[in-house]
Amino acid sequence: MKRRLSSISLNIITSIFCIATVLPFVWMLSSSFKSNIEISALEQYFFPRGFTLQNYVNVLAGFDFMRYFINSLVYAFLITVITVYTSTVSGFVLAKYEFRGRELLFSCILMTMMVPGTVTIIPRYSIMQFLGWLDTYKALVLPGAFTAFGIFMMRQACYAIPDEMLEAARIDGANEFYIFHRIVFPLLHNSIITIIIFQFLWAWDDYLWPYLVIRTSSKYLLPIALNLFNGRYSTDYGGLFAATSISIMPVVILYMFFQNQFIEGVSSSSLKG
Amino acid sequence: MQGHHRGKKVLRNSSEVALRSIAVFLMSVFFLLFFAVPIGIAFIGSFHQWNPLKQQFDFLGMRNWNRIFANGLFWHSMKNTFVFAMIAVFFRVILGLILAHVLHSKLIKHKSVYRTLYYLPTITPMVAVAFVWKFIFDPRIGLLNRLLNSDINWLYDGRYALAAMLILTIWKDFGYAVVILLGGLYSLPTECFEAAEIDGANSWQRFTRLTLPLLRPMVLFVIIVSLISYFQAYIPVMVLTQGGPGTQTYLVTYLIYKEAFSKYNFGYASALSFIVFVFIAILTAVTFKISGKNVPF
Repeated sequence: MKRRLSSISLNIITSIFCIATVLPFVWMLSSSFKSNIEISALEQYFFPRGFTLQNYVNVLAGFDFMRYFINSLVYAFLITVITVYTSTVSGFVLAKYEFRGRELLFSCILMTMMVPGTVTIIPRYSIMQFLGWLDTYKALVLPGAFTAFGIFMMRQACYAIPDEMLEAARIDGANEFYIFHRIVFPLLHNSIITIIIFQFLWAWDDYLWPYLVIRTSSKYLLPIALNLFNGRYSTDYGGLFAATSISIMPVVILYMFFQNQFIEGVSSSSLKG
Repeated sequence: MQGHHRGKKVLRNSSEVALRSIAVFLMSVFFLLFFAVPIGIAFIGSFHQWNPLKQQFDFLGMRNWNRIFANGLFWHSMKNTFVFAMIAVFFRVILGLILAHVLHSKLIKHKSVYRTLYYLPTITPMVAVAFVWKFIFDPRIGLLNRLLNSDINWLYDGRYALAAMLILTIWKDFGYAVVILLGGLYSLPTECFEAAEIDGANSWQRFTRLTLPLLRPMVLFVIIVSLISYFQAYIPVMVLTQGGPGTQTYLVTYLIYKEAFSKYNFGYASALSFIVFVFIAILTAVTFKISGKNVPF
């Protein structure tokens, strides 16, 4: 009896938090299908009474939201591909080659994780200005080309690859580029998937740096466009709900497909760190 | 054969030298250009009247620093940030512990479904989610007032604005703590828990005597990660309140970005950013120190 009682109460606790977690998303999505009149009406219903796609049409056609969506997609794709490659090469070199200054270099890389981004963002901006890179995607992508998180993870993953395997390839006459690309890289696929997922999310989430660097509105990324839209049409609630849904839903869908990789990736990051 | 000589200097062939050199060169350039040099510039800049629009870089001595410590808004923002970070960390850790403990129990089914859902807000983009909450807090169309049957102007009433920012932050982040701590629980030996149960330890005893001490490293990890991120939180301010009403909900990172990118006081903002840096470092050290001493937690 006591067991049954505690079982019920535990299930109630977990369910309450589930509802609290999901409700804002459902409300957002459901409101994006309501007309503005219905959203601000006195009498409120959770689900739309007069279902409409007009908000999406307005946002996509009137505000060119698709362009920002594609910009964000391109940016996130670019930075993910680059960091996956730089992280694996760096991790491999740091794990498998012995050379002078290796530990120093690795400590330097780790140090970048300790210093808050707030300190470096102002001088970085000045450097970009000095280089004449403001308002280019170069300035967006290059500062993120190496990540301490990625290098750290890949170095750990490379340690798990047995030296004998690499030696065997060397005896067969393979050069190091071949070994890295054809033997090591495929072996790392689990860690690579983790990096892809997180890097893509971070890029999709990036706000301040793209906001500072990019001036031309046609090059804006999604979060900046969303902020702009809010400033400009602050009373078009339906449009705002639709725009917000467009920014959030791709991530949610991605998450639904790769939830196990997501969860494993996070858990492992803390156990190692 | 070569494996035996795997000591210091066995340069195998030119391709190894090439691959190694490329990687080391790129990492070093990256570290210098986007990290070491910027920190140097920021530090030097903090002693200058530095305005990139006017091409200004004039030596000021300690004046930026003195101005900061004499500035009421700075102290107010620091106090807000401290309160904000402490409350957010507290709830993140407590909710994380409770829910991880509950999900670890055999009495709960569909554990992975719950875990997946709790983690959902963490992975969604911050700016977009902050806007959703802005609408939830909206006195006219908002969901929250309707659910609570209240008439609170969450974002424009000084008594509630910081609370609103905290609700958003806690809602978004508690799932991360659940996942990390639950991962920690799964990595612990199950025999401990079974033995404790056989010995008649009740649920509360198992929680305080077993779960908490064993999870200490993960809890510490969550606290430190959270402190670092909450001391740099600015998107809740930017989206929800813009620091308002008045300047009541300024957080220190928001102040830095205002100074840097609205007023272009780069020198002053750099000095501020170093203060935040030092503050985070001290808090991290203190966290380690406290947790290192008294054993239960």
